[in-house]
Amino acid sequence: MKKIIFAVVVLAVAGVPLAIGGKYALHVGSMIAITATLALSMNLMLRIGQVSMAQGAFMGMGAYSSALLTMKLDWSPMVAMLASAVVVGMLAVALGFVFLRIKGVFFVLLTYAFAQIVNLSIQEASTWTGGNNGLYGIPKLAILGFRMVEPSAFYLCALAVAVLAWAVVHSVFRSRIGAILDSIEQDEGLSRALGTNALRWRVAVFGLSAVLASLAGSLFAHHLNFLSPANFTFLQNVDLLIMNIVGGVSSPTGAVLGALILVPLPELLRDAKQYELLIYGGILLGSLLFLRDGLVGRLGRLSFARRAVQTMREAGHGAA
Amino acid sequence: MNALIEQMVVNGILAGLVYVIMALGFTLVFGIMRVVNFAHGELYMVSGYVMLSLYGQHQMNYYLAVVCAVLFTAMLGAVLEKLLFQRFAGDELGGMIISLALAIILQAGALILFGPDEQSMPRPVSGVWHVHEAVLSLDRGFVAIWAVVALAAFWLFIKRTRLGLAMQAVAQDRVTAGLMGIQSKRVSLIAFSIGSALAALAGALMAPIYTVSPYMGELPLLKAFVVVILGGLGSIPGAMLGGLLIGMTESVFATLFDSTVALIASFVIVLVVIVVRPRGLLGKAVR
Repeated sequence: MKKIIFAVVVLAVAGVPLAIGGKYALHVGSMIAITATLALSMNLMLRIGQVSMAQGAFMGMGAYSSALLTMKLDWSPMVAMLASAVVVGMLAVALGFVFLRIKGVFFVLLTYAFAQIVNLSIQEASTWTGGNNGLYGIPKLAILGFRMVEPSAFYLCALAVAVLAWAVVHSVFRSRIGAILDSIEQDEGLSRALGTNALRWRVAVFGLSAVLASLAGSLFAHHLNFLSPANFTFLQNVDLLIMNIVGGVSSPTGAVLGALILVPLPELLRDAKQYELLIYGGILLGSLLFLRDGLVGRLGRLSFARRAVQTMREAGHGAA
Repeated sequence: MNALIEQMVVNGILAGLVYVIMALGFTLVFGIMRVVNFAHGELYMVSGYVMLSLYGQHQMNYYLAVVCAVLFTAMLGAVLEKLLFQRFAGDELGGMIISLALAIILQAGALILFGPDEQSMPRPVSGVWHVHEAVLSLDRGFVAIWAVVALAAFWLFIKRTRLGLAMQAVAQDRVTAGLMGIQSKRVSLIAFSIGSALAALAGALMAPIYTVSPYMGELPLLKAFVVVILGGLGSIPGAMLGGLLIGMTESVFATLFDSTVALIASFVIVLVVIVVRPRGLLGKAVR
């Protein structure tokens, strides 16, 4: 029964942009789907207890690599998107063996420095990336020669990626692997004594999270047809963190819920754009001060959403 | 060639001294409270706006305006510590995330109150000074003198006063310091306030030289990060050494390439330091 309710709720929410119709609603819908995928990639890292500031950088890599492959080498966008995800994933795995030995605030600072290097390199390599002037004229997404010119077609693609990302994260944490990851997060020493290779599991999660971020980045590039380094700053990571904290870190559904709440917010505040940052900061501060039950291990959930999340999560557990 | 090298050294030292001031406050807060303060750059920005208002718009005496900016920001820091950071004592990641929230809110507040435009104010001194073959702009030299005075005062405070020694004790071992009768809560409050004052001093000094905007704190924060990680998070001599080293590195890279390459170079240094030697050049072993 819960499975059915969960599926109905998801279908109903996903159907809203299609029901409203029009370019704008579908644009917001697509951005929610893309951001939800990113929030899921952040959720993966938070689940192993490591706050990563590199997700925005992985997104940027996926976006630029997909854009450049289609523009300069005339690759099909879908092939470029998948190839970028594979390469970014492999890069993350290679880096992960070094990076994930570091924990706590030092991991945050390390990934922060890494993200800065990526962003500054994009700015510096202006002959390819257009630098701070941005990269224009990125082709629309196309799958097997079918170009997604219709906003609704693109929306369905972005939605499919987000659902797939949710399903992957959800089933990872539902499986035995999830139990292993939880054990590493809770007591690494004990877990290793029982024979788990903690570093290897962490690296695997880092790689998967980079793949998700890269896919979202490619979608972003083919959706907006314009990229600039300003899209992939440190603030992107902070936004993802806020979404996870607001939605609830302990389940992938929380991350999606966070994106669902926070992405449309600036759109609602069109006339008061400068208040966007203030509200984001206020929400983060509020959820940290009043709604935390043990930070980072299990970051708190916003109380009005708590019951909803709880039901949805139980339903979600039933669903898989 | 000689002139070029001399110029690079002069530029390096002048930039480095400001980084040291910025980094000292940042490292003090981490050493005592274990908080990576992402709002440090925003305190620099707040002080810049106080300068703009008092010195730029109301023609207050320059020195008096600097003192007011520093005092105001120090008080703001004390209030923030009391209201927010105290609850997160001992929770490194929690304290860091709360500082992120604070940084966003302060930046948004400045954006709403003052708008996104860059605003400028007259420089207290102008002109250049020729030292051998190098050229030194007087306003930067002026800032460097302030910075040296502040450094000396801070050093004496840490090494010679009871409160300074109490701070060192808390940084070394909070629990044992408590057993010796040091009130670590009070020390935290003062440390955060002094850290804010140092950020404010850097902001007040640099505001007339550059421009004032809601985003002006971002770059100095980045520099403070780099400096502090290089020198050792929490280490005061490390921040001094790191600041001068980074100032020098940047000066060389910026002269030979451009300032973006200089920034990339300093982040590569950070990356390598965290991976190879997380405690930095002069830091204590990481527990």
